[in-house]
Amino acid sequence: MSVLAAIRPDDWNLALFVHLLGAMVLVGTVVFAITSTSAGNMRLGYRTLLWAVIPSWFVMRIAAQWLASKEKLDDLDPEPAWVGIGYSTSEGSLLLLIAATICAGIAARRGSTGGLRTATLVLVAISLVAYGVAIWAMSTKPT
Amino acid sequence: MYDWLLFLHLISAFLLGVTVVIYSAVAIGVATPGRTLFVADRCWDVGGLGTLIFGIWLALNLDQYDFFDGWILGALALWFVATGLGQSIQRRMNAPEGEGDETRALASLHWIRTIVIIGLLVLMIWKPGA
Repeated sequence: MSVLAAIRPDDWNLALFVHLLGAMVLVGTVVFAITSTSAGNMRLGYRTLLWAVIPSWFVMRIAAQWLASKEKLDDLDPEPAWVGIGYSTSEGSLLLLIAATICAGIAARRGSTGGLRTATLVLVAISLVAYGVAIWAMSTKPT
Repeated sequence: MYDWLLFLHLISAFLLGVTVVIYSAVAIGVATPGRTLFVADRCWDVGGLGTLIFGIWLALNLDQYDFFDGWILGALALWFVATGLGQSIQRRMNAPEGEGDETRALASLHWIRTIVIIGLLVLMIWKPGA
């Protein structure tokens, strides 16, 4: 698998580029949301989640599906473990990010820095850990 | 071995991405907390070193790539340009409060660095000449 990954066909490159770019922006904006929220700037954290994190999640995920269809990964039975890890971490994290955005939005509106800030931080931090696992799965491709 | 080197190389590249995203917010005028900038700068330091070390290790580890392949030499050149720009940006950010021209210069340096990082990603994916 490693050598195959190193010599993939050229027509996968654009989808991989968009997927990686989306994933990098996603991780970057997630870190930005965590540091802004932990500094007590809930409004900035909320805006980052709503206008940067969630849109970049969609770019990453749509490009992932594009890449999977080019590689015909969905036709494989059984599905490779690394593909399953990628789907479960990305889709699970969207729910966490939506919940975090709602918490951050309410906290920003109320000017609160208590429980809702902590909830936002925990939800976004879990997403970041999940992305670390996804990057590991995508690069080491465990079977 | 290849898989773990690729993982560490990728994680390092993601750290560079974190810096680029955070400084993009600064460049478009978002009031960014000092803690966020500290994280961005440390990500740049660790990510820069990691991409270089694990990238070279990867190139030496795989038989189908040669250290002197054009795309690897091109990536090294872009890495040095990005590192120089990054150091210049960090120095300017840590300098006393700048004027309008200084802020514009900082933003320009950042956008050039962003283009260089995207260029690195393009080289890593398309590997021209490999």
